Amino acid sequence: MGMKKKLLSAVLCGAMVGTMMAPIATVQAADDTLVYWSMWESTEPQGQAIQEAVDAYTAETGVKVDLQFKGRTGNREALQPALDGGTQIDIFDEDIDRVNSMYAKYLLDLEDLVKESGYEDTAIPGLMSACRDAGGGTLKTIPYQPNVFAFFYNKDLFEQAGVEKEPTTWAEFLDVCQKLKDAGITPMTMDDAYATSVIGYHLARLVGEEKVVEIVTEGKWDDPAVLQMAQDIEELAKNGYYSEMVGSNVWPAGQNTELALGTAAMYLNGSWLPNEVKDMAGEDFKWGCFAYPELENGANGIETNNFGAQVFGINKDTKMPKEAFDLVKFITTGEYDAKLAEMSVGIPADTTNTEWPAMVECAKPVIEQSTGRLTWAAGVETNVDMTPVIKENFIKLMAGSLTADEFVAAMQEAAK
Amino acid sequence: MKKNKTMIVVFLTPAVLLFLGIFLYPILKTILMSFFKIEGVTDAMNLWSFVGLDNYVKLINTSLFRTACYNLFRIWFFGGLIVMSLSLLFAAILTSGIRGKKFFRAIIYMPNIVSAVALATMWLQYVYSPRFGLLKSFFEALHLEGLAKIQWLDNEHKFMALLLAYCFGMVGYHMLIWLSGIERISPEYYEAATIDGANKLEQFRYMTLPLLKGVFKTNITMWSVSSVGFFVWSQLFSNVTADTQTITPYVYMYMQIFGGGNTVTERNSGLGAAIGVLLSLCVVLVFTVCNKLIKDDDLEF
Repeated sequence: MGMKKKLLSAVLCGAMVGTMMAPIATVQAADDTLVYWSMWESTEPQGQAIQEAVDAYTAETGVKVDLQFKGRTGNREALQPALDGGTQIDIFDEDIDRVNSMYAKYLLDLEDLVKESGYEDTAIPGLMSACRDAGGGTLKTIPYQPNVFAFFYNKDLFEQAGVEKEPTTWAEFLDVCQKLKDAGITPMTMDDAYATSVIGYHLARLVGEEKVVEIVTEGKWDDPAVLQMAQDIEELAKNGYYSEMVGSNVWPAGQNTELALGTAAMYLNGSWLPNEVKDMAGEDFKWGCFAYPELENGANGIETNNFGAQVFGINKDTKMPKEAFDLVKFITTGEYDAKLAEMSVGIPADTTNTEWPAMVECAKPVIEQSTGRLTWAAGVETNVDMTPVIKENFIKLMAGSLTADEFVAAMQEAAK
Repeated sequence: MKKNKTMIVVFLTPAVLLFLGIFLYPILKTILMSFFKIEGVTDAMNLWSFVGLDNYVKLINTSLFRTACYNLFRIWFFGGLIVMSLSLLFAAILTSGIRGKKFFRAIIYMPNIVSAVALATMWLQYVYSPRFGLLKSFFEALHLEGLAKIQWLDNEHKFMALLLAYCFGMVGYHMLIWLSGIERISPEYYEAATIDGANKLEQFRYMTLPLLKGVFKTNITMWSVSSVGFFVWSQLFSNVTADTQTITPYVYMYMQIFGGGNTVTERNSGLGAAIGVLLSLCVVLVFTVCNKLIKDDDLEF
């Protein structure tokens, strides 16, 4: 009996140690296999389209690809540690600014590969130059799934209110809001998650992104532009142009229950919005889109927008740079770029794919007119210690529970 | 039994090695990291720059971090009061010999097996909705128009909303711990007390409660550990960017290590490590105070 027990414990003990050790030995892919850590989930349309593209690439070229869906946070949390730990990852993707800054040191310079393959003939010039800017003057990433941040609106409601032209200036914008209001329609709504984009855009229209970053990082809330912005938003709030729910909307309440269901007309958001709410909005929802309006004496106008893309980066230590680039090209051009756009209701990265999914077609003019680029929320989130405070006070400003002066005072106090 | 040294070594070595590798090494490394400025969490040591106590000083001087600590304290203290009292109450009721004990136990424990994401979505998009929410309809049915109009998720009420939703999910877990404690007490004591004329309340006050001291300690420690790691609910109640009412030290730590929101922001894993060290100290402190205040070794039953 005693012996048996001992033996059993020893076996169990060994089994336990064995199972605990197992994850330590990571499996490295074979030499002839490309490893791609994807920012998508396998269940998302993007993930499904990319899976199809990868399968087709392997079938066509014989190059094996180990495609691993990590998701947004998966890549954000685990990619760098994995790269530092020497895990073989040949291709990875994420937001344009994050890949080009956080993962800059792992990136292969793609200028030569792009030149050789003539990739740029069919790429969106604005995005390629945005990638070069973000890469410090040289191309280290390939953009796809372009997006633009702008006002998305319900065309039927505009029509109902007798609005014929999309506003380009602030005065026109106020006019549109009033017409909607007069027609008994809530002009616009917002969700907490995107509130900082409103303040960022407005401030950047007044003084440019560089100055916005300065204000939030150096606490220059006494800048006259801040008060100007706050007064503009206060006016919107006072006139009842924002939904009554704006103070308590937790994403996606505003976009789902107000915009998509047709009670509010406008919502400042990325071009991924129609895809996100398509099931609630229904097929007959007519989407419109216009750039954040120009402000009087502002630093920039509707030609400067927060546009970006997801980008592919290739590991500088990859043993198969040519194959990796070919796969990226395969996904971001021609048939599979069109497929990706179609399945995700997104914007194609290949300029020869001129047919955009109907729901995002409305964003085309905004993208095409964009020559200047703002980063996410025009840099207003640069200071993590301030972002939640900005968000809190700005939402209160939109909801009308803070006046412009109170907003400025609160921000000055918080920045001390 | 004769001591067999080889066997002792064989059995202890794996455990000791695992403990050293999996617990001690990360703890020591985290403490070490907290004295450095480190951009990427896995940066090689030659990229670290020594800053002494700067990370700690910076944390104490950052008002957002203080807000986060204050929120954590509120969650721990008020949430603790709510969860501990409710779970104890439920446990006492369930052990009082009511019918359908298993059924109710399962119902109360249910939120624990539902994903937090699903639970939070239910609370956020349904219960608290100012358009068609449960609370709104409930108060309207009672003709309490003032209460029906409250926007439960605005800045003023968001913390309370978060706390309620969180506690709802935690009661079942702590109830089970209480239950196991109560069931350990022999029914003979209660029988004797009943014969002596003690009613249910008196039995609870003078028998159950004192005999639960040890379990109480366990519960407080478990509650403290899970509160300190408060993260998911906070994230769910404030997507993309953190919120002053829901931010906790863990969320702040995440922002420092992986960047906050969608903007590429400055990162410092050393600061994150310092937060980890501070939080661990908090748990140790709570545990020590509990141990000092609640003595349960004087009882044997």
